[in-house]
Amino acid sequence: MSTVIGVDVGGTFTDLVLRDARTGEIRVAKRPTTPSSPEAGVLAVVDAAAGPELLARCAYFVHGTTVGLNALLEPATATVGLITTAGFRDVLEIRRGDRDDPYDLFWTPPPPLVPRRLRLEVAERVAADGSVVAPLDPQDVRRAAAVFAAEGVDAVAIVLINAYANPAHENAVRDLLRAEGFDGEVSLSHEVSGEYREYERTCTTVVDALVRHRMGPYLTDLDRELRARGFAGRLLVTRSGGGALELDEATARPFETILSGPVAGAAATARLVEALGLDTAIAADVGGTSFDTALIEDGRLPMLYQGRVRGLPLQSPWVDVRSVGAGGGSVAYVDAGGLLRVGPRSAGAVPGPACYGRGGTEPTVTDAALHLGMIVPGRISGGIELSAEAAAAALAPLAAPCGLAGADEVAEGVVRIAAAHMAQAVRGITVEHGTDPRRAAVVAFGGAGPLFGCLIADELDVDTVVVPPNAGNFSAVGLMQADIVRGAARTLVRSLDDDAALREVAEVARALFARLGDSPDAERELDLDLRHRGQEHTLTVRADPEREDVAAIRERFTAAYHRAYGHQLTDPLEVVTVRATTRVRLDVDRRPVPAPGGGDAEAEAREVRLWSFRRAGFTRARALPRHALTAPAEGPLVVLEPTATTYVDAGFTVEPSTGGCLLITRKERSR
Amino acid sequence: MTVVRTVFTAPEPDRGGGREADPVTTEIVRQGLNAAADHMKRSLIRTAFSPIIYEALDFAVAFYDEDMCMLAQAPTLPAFMGTLGFCVRAAVDGVGGPDALAPGDVILYNDPYGTGSHPQDAAMVVPVFHAEELVGYAAIKAHWLDIGGKDPYCTDTLDVYQEGTIFPGVKLYDAGRLVTDVYRMILANSRMADMVIGDINAMVAGTRAGAEALAAIVARHGVETFRRCVARMYDHGEALVRAWFSALPDGVYTAASVIDSDGVSGRPIPFGVAVRVAGSRVEVDLTDCPDQVPGPINCPLPSTVAAARLAIAFLAGAGEQPNEGHFRPLELLTREGSLFHPTRPAPCFLYGIPADHAIELIIRSLAEGVPDSVPAASGGDINSLVWWGNRKDTGAPWADGAPHPVGQGASPRGDGASALMFLSESATRFTPAEVWEARNPWRIERLALAPDSGGPGRFRGGLGLDLSFRCLEDQYLTAALARTELEPWGLDGGLPGRPNRLTVEYPDGTAADYALRTRVPLPEGAVVHLRTGSGGGYGPPEERDPEAVRADLREGYITEEHAREHYPHAL
Repeated sequence: MSTVIGVDVGGTFTDLVLRDARTGEIRVAKRPTTPSSPEAGVLAVVDAAAGPELLARCAYFVHGTTVGLNALLEPATATVGLITTAGFRDVLEIRRGDRDDPYDLFWTPPPPLVPRRLRLEVAERVAADGSVVAPLDPQDVRRAAAVFAAEGVDAVAIVLINAYANPAHENAVRDLLRAEGFDGEVSLSHEVSGEYREYERTCTTVVDALVRHRMGPYLTDLDRELRARGFAGRLLVTRSGGGALELDEATARPFETILSGPVAGAAATARLVEALGLDTAIAADVGGTSFDTALIEDGRLPMLYQGRVRGLPLQSPWVDVRSVGAGGGSVAYVDAGGLLRVGPRSAGAVPGPACYGRGGTEPTVTDAALHLGMIVPGRISGGIELSAEAAAAALAPLAAPCGLAGADEVAEGVVRIAAAHMAQAVRGITVEHGTDPRRAAVVAFGGAGPLFGCLIADELDVDTVVVPPNAGNFSAVGLMQADIVRGAARTLVRSLDDDAALREVAEVARALFARLGDSPDAERELDLDLRHRGQEHTLTVRADPEREDVAAIRERFTAAYHRAYGHQLTDPLEVVTVRATTRVRLDVDRRPVPAPGGGDAEAEAREVRLWSFRRAGFTRARALPRHALTAPAEGPLVVLEPTATTYVDAGFTVEPSTGGCLLITRKERSR
Repeated sequence: MTVVRTVFTAPEPDRGGGREADPVTTEIVRQGLNAAADHMKRSLIRTAFSPIIYEALDFAVAFYDEDMCMLAQAPTLPAFMGTLGFCVRAAVDGVGGPDALAPGDVILYNDPYGTGSHPQDAAMVVPVFHAEELVGYAAIKAHWLDIGGKDPYCTDTLDVYQEGTIFPGVKLYDAGRLVTDVYRMILANSRMADMVIGDINAMVAGTRAGAEALAAIVARHGVETFRRCVARMYDHGEALVRAWFSALPDGVYTAASVIDSDGVSGRPIPFGVAVRVAGSRVEVDLTDCPDQVPGPINCPLPSTVAAARLAIAFLAGAGEQPNEGHFRPLELLTREGSLFHPTRPAPCFLYGIPADHAIELIIRSLAEGVPDSVPAASGGDINSLVWWGNRKDTGAPWADGAPHPVGQGASPRGDGASALMFLSESATRFTPAEVWEARNPWRIERLALAPDSGGPGRFRGGLGLDLSFRCLEDQYLTAALARTELEPWGLDGGLPGRPNRLTVEYPDGTAADYALRTRVPLPEGAVVHLRTGSGGGYGPPEERDPEAVRADLREGYITEEHAREHYPHAL
């Protein structure tokens, strides 16, 4: 077993979790995120938790970073040029013709990532079947190179129509550009994505070119700084599609890391439920601004193959984590029609909830939870003293406009509405997967997740809630258990009606695995995007075309289709995209990560005034430090620990469980 | 002829005691209904066979209560906003009223006079029961590729019977059992039966999933609480809309325009709108129009209602998913037997042409009242093209169809956006060229913004789109283009943009333009050029910021020649 460090850069805090293989010790640390130079915050948290001796025997440093994302959001980090097939320079600007807000008369898309004068066309054409219809005109490439040189272009994206089916012209354009002396980064669409849909592939390729310029230097610098501190292991970067990339791969394919933020929590949930032997689980991560949820079945993360960042589509694997604007900082208000509403606007870190006493006056979910006794007043991390009076003062004015009696009723309503938002998000993903949420366990984590576990369970009619140890740092825990994952995909639209078609799929798969570099200890996974001929949307199904026949694959698809949509069809099958993944498991301890020892020694069980949603009123209840909970206890009560508070309503029982988890069981239904 | 006033009154709160409903539970019910409608929408998108459903999102999904008032509608095609109420009522009446309904029923309905659109827009309605009591309906209306009619898409029909097979409210499933006679009727009447059957399965699965979700919401809260919350939810929707409407200054606002042609008579069709605002009440008057016309551009009442609602929603800033309460403050005046309220059997296949035109004209009429909220004209149409044929190698039938984006009008807020779908289809996406080429016998030769097309002004109109398809096999095209004659108007001294235009270049070197034309034969090697309309300009061009002109020149949105003609002050 090896020592591993996980560092996750969040919007507000940079979190570190460390597992020392020699002593078995777990350490956690937290430092403010430093947005202008994120490596400063990362190094600060490393310095706080690990000296040179420990760094020297650390085998893996797994890093979740928003540097790639920020490069996209910040204005002009690099000047990118784009080369397209003649007739298609405007694809990036035309998009798909839709509005993000269909009811906004004035909606205008954000300016294209590459201005029109730097989008240049070359004469050439490849057909959908890969055949060359018109040869590439090298003169056009030379002209483009001259324009790029004159305009000071840093990086070039090359996206030719149907290049997914035949990359020859894209390669030739790159070679000609190099021959003309262009020495910046070049991104080729068939290497970046390999899938059809020219707007989405263009966008992905341009983002790759943009982000590469920033990400490479950042990672190289961080690696150097860590080594200067004695680190001699491997730097890994988490991937939007789960797992982590090695440093060189992350530098070469940085767009694969862009959506990795919420993934770590889902990955940690998958590991945990595997260890606990649960087959269906719902990750319920409540942070300051959002609720992030994912459905985990049989220990597998739910995958999607297209993501969106700031309205830009990215053809990249990503774990299907859904976000809704319901978190601790979500603001409550009464709308023009007299209904109480919660979110999606958040009070953020500044000014924050009213109870932080930093100038916030609008009531938030945190204020409501504090008012109801779900959070115990006092000092929290960051030295903030929570003020129950400020929370009540912010909540009370909402009562009259919506016809409620007072602050108590408003607070209760705010928490119930926030929980209903969360439950709806969960219902959305379970409906899409054809899964009945009632048979799942809710895994509640994030700073505010354990407050909502019981409420979400009641909304969804779920009987089991699990609160992991280190609930507030659980996402960083997920980093320490990542696999090294690489992926590649290619669109290949073919009828899958006989074994000849399957042989073609197998051939494409072999080529994709070869590109991923065959390491002997790598596990291979092959997935096919399949559909009935005539449909557009696909379902992704695991397959082994070397060993299986078409009938076996069809059977698996039909079962998945029936489960997702409730009916089955006899129409012929079509393969659309072949996806290859390799996975290397790190030799790290994969058991659940226990809470750090010591804890809050002075904390004793005490009595608090706590709201019970089941009983619709305040009641006297216990507040227990987590280490004091040694036997099953009945709600209502709260369980306290440094990073989170767990709320247990009447009708629920909480007990310590495997791996340091709290297991909450619903004993009676709410109605 | 009779003037008809259409008013929407959801049941008064005293029925369910809306004022006593708890605001928190009401909000939870409201959210739950909206989310369930959204799940029903996603289920349909993911299982549909027709690109018109999964790409163009040419459908609507909604829940209705037992009085056929709208509980929630997922954001889909704005043109269908609220139109499902008419067809839920007609569908249920068709099978004998609510008493004739049983759990497991699925009603099929596509009569244009009840759906508001052409027979291709077919509705599925599923009654929802809680403990054997009827508590509401789940409904989907979606565009089928073909359900008979003289052609897969028509621009020249003379009565509604030529436009498709009509199912006037029939049970497709009777208490859970497929009615095979009806199913076989559908199969026997579609040129694209396989695809239509796939879409029917998707719609049945979607409405059933929706019905389950609605039943679950009712079960969670209990029927009594649910109904009280719904009553309060309608009041809430009404209050929101009244708050928006109060912002419009009182007065009577008017505008007039001309539709190019009805596709049959070839004559231009003038019409006018009047909008009367008094406090939080808005009355839209569409009686100033010709009697119903010979060609298929008559707009049945449900779609006229949707057009009026949509125009007002765009202006008033409807950010919320609508329910029946949102519709209470709007009243509509139409004249029976006229363009905007035709009677059977007037043809209405292209009902969207007058509806879309009315939307923009209602918005324009209010320029005087709320100048900051009114842009110049857009390209003004969805530029529908429908293609079909038999594949050369296999003989297999194929069909495809799509709307196309247009430039948007400039406004006091800035330049118009380039190449966006027309307002009534604003969530619709344009199919990628690579998907098209993988599916249809085409090569897309050009997909580009059209320089110089935006109407000049202090703020420039958005650019139109230039799109060229080369036919790789023989095929047919039906073109349904409106606004090919009328230039997109500028406002406040801004100049007009370019109208829509379709040109076919034949292999023999000849060329022809088409606007509303059915079944144009396209031989292999023909190239179809679609040039979609652009947006009108806002304010005099000589007031345009010279830096903006130079930036347009630098990026190639305008040419030097255009700049010299319209913006000499900037050079």
